[in-house]
Amino acid sequence: MKIYEFTQAPNPRRVRVFLAEKGINNVPFVQVNLATADNTKPEFLKMNPMGRVPVLELDDGTYIAESVAICRYFEEIKPEPRLMGVDAKDKAVVEMWNRRMEFEILSNTAGAFRNTSDFFKGRIPQVKEYGEICRNAAVKRLEWLDTVLADREFIAGPRYTIADITALIGIDFGRTTGIKIQENQKNLARWHQAVSSRPSAKA
Amino acid sequence: MKIYDFAFAPNPRRLRIFVAEKGLKIPLEQVDIFAGKNRTPEMLAKNPAGGLPVVELDDGSCLAESVAICRYLEGLHPEPNMVGKNSREQAVIEMWNRRIELGLFAAAGRAFQHTNELFKARIKQFPEYGATQREAAAQQLQWLDAQIGNKPFIAADRFTIADITAEVAVDFAAQAAGVAADPALKNLARWYESVSSRPSAKA
Repeated sequence: MKIYEFTQAPNPRRVRVFLAEKGINNVPFVQVNLATADNTKPEFLKMNPMGRVPVLELDDGTYIAESVAICRYFEEIKPEPRLMGVDAKDKAVVEMWNRRMEFEILSNTAGAFRNTSDFFKGRIPQVKEYGEICRNAAVKRLEWLDTVLADREFIAGPRYTIADITALIGIDFGRTTGIKIQENQKNLARWHQAVSSRPSAKA
Repeated sequence: MKIYDFAFAPNPRRLRIFVAEKGLKIPLEQVDIFAGKNRTPEMLAKNPAGGLPVVELDDGSCLAESVAICRYLEGLHPEPNMVGKNSREQAVIEMWNRRIELGLFAAAGRAFQHTNELFKARIKQFPEYGATQREAAAQQLQWLDAQIGNKPFIAADRFTIADITAEVAVDFAAQAAGVAADPALKNLARWYESVSSRPSAKA
């Protein structure tokens, strides 16, 4: 088993943090340099025709792309500690919050970066004004997330889950375009401090 | 249990098809998105993100996000299996479901939002961005045709949640974003004919 990834990109970090929380430390990582577009080369596209990292290669030769699909595989083969829910309802609640963090936070910080950064210039059709919209949306969603965290320790409830990982990565990725937690967002700051000080945050 | 639904929106349709494939009957209550009824204080209390569908459980708690709700129903009613029978299959089906969501479905959604009259007063539209997303949706249809090849279904040897997402995305791209699948895409056409002739397609 091995994971193809790129250290600086946000989605590979989701999987690294997830594995660290699971205590899985024996999966080798292979770097695929996005800066030199190695993810668009034919050898890589054979593994993932979407051309994205991370990709998990299983011992039987199966390739699993999409961060959450990779996380789900590890959740199934090593259930503890539970990061994707315990019973039917809890699993649904975690999935709901993870998706909210993807749609409301990560996709907006990523959309801001994709549409305004030099990194993507010439690779995708950039629309700067749309990047600004994403940026403003991300700022607004952080205000909302601060209110969500008023009555709970973690994003999906009393336990640390994959939704916290997605929110952490989404918020941290906002630094690329100057999106950050505001001083008056005390709940969000408290949560961010707590999840960032877990050893997994450095993975 | 009841489902807050809107007959014309694509995500509620994903859930209705899933429910039909499971052979379940769950009461539906219409919430008119066109009239902004999904953003009343009552509905925002059920789902602060404002999207549909939302499921209200018998204990009064609510679940949002189509896939989270589908996973909940899968937990209660495991057969027929729609999200994977073992760790590898769960990961593969999740991968394909997300590829369709993040590819075709998301591109069609953004094209719709940035080019359609319905959204004029709701969001700041960038027709130029909408055009890039229309182009992206057309490319995704071609990509999907190549990926389907001669396979009967998207992610497994049977109909799964990934087929539902793809079926809804293909219809949504045609109806809302003006990006209809070219009949020359034979694999896609054959697969579409097969999934859309299932009784669940009318749900």
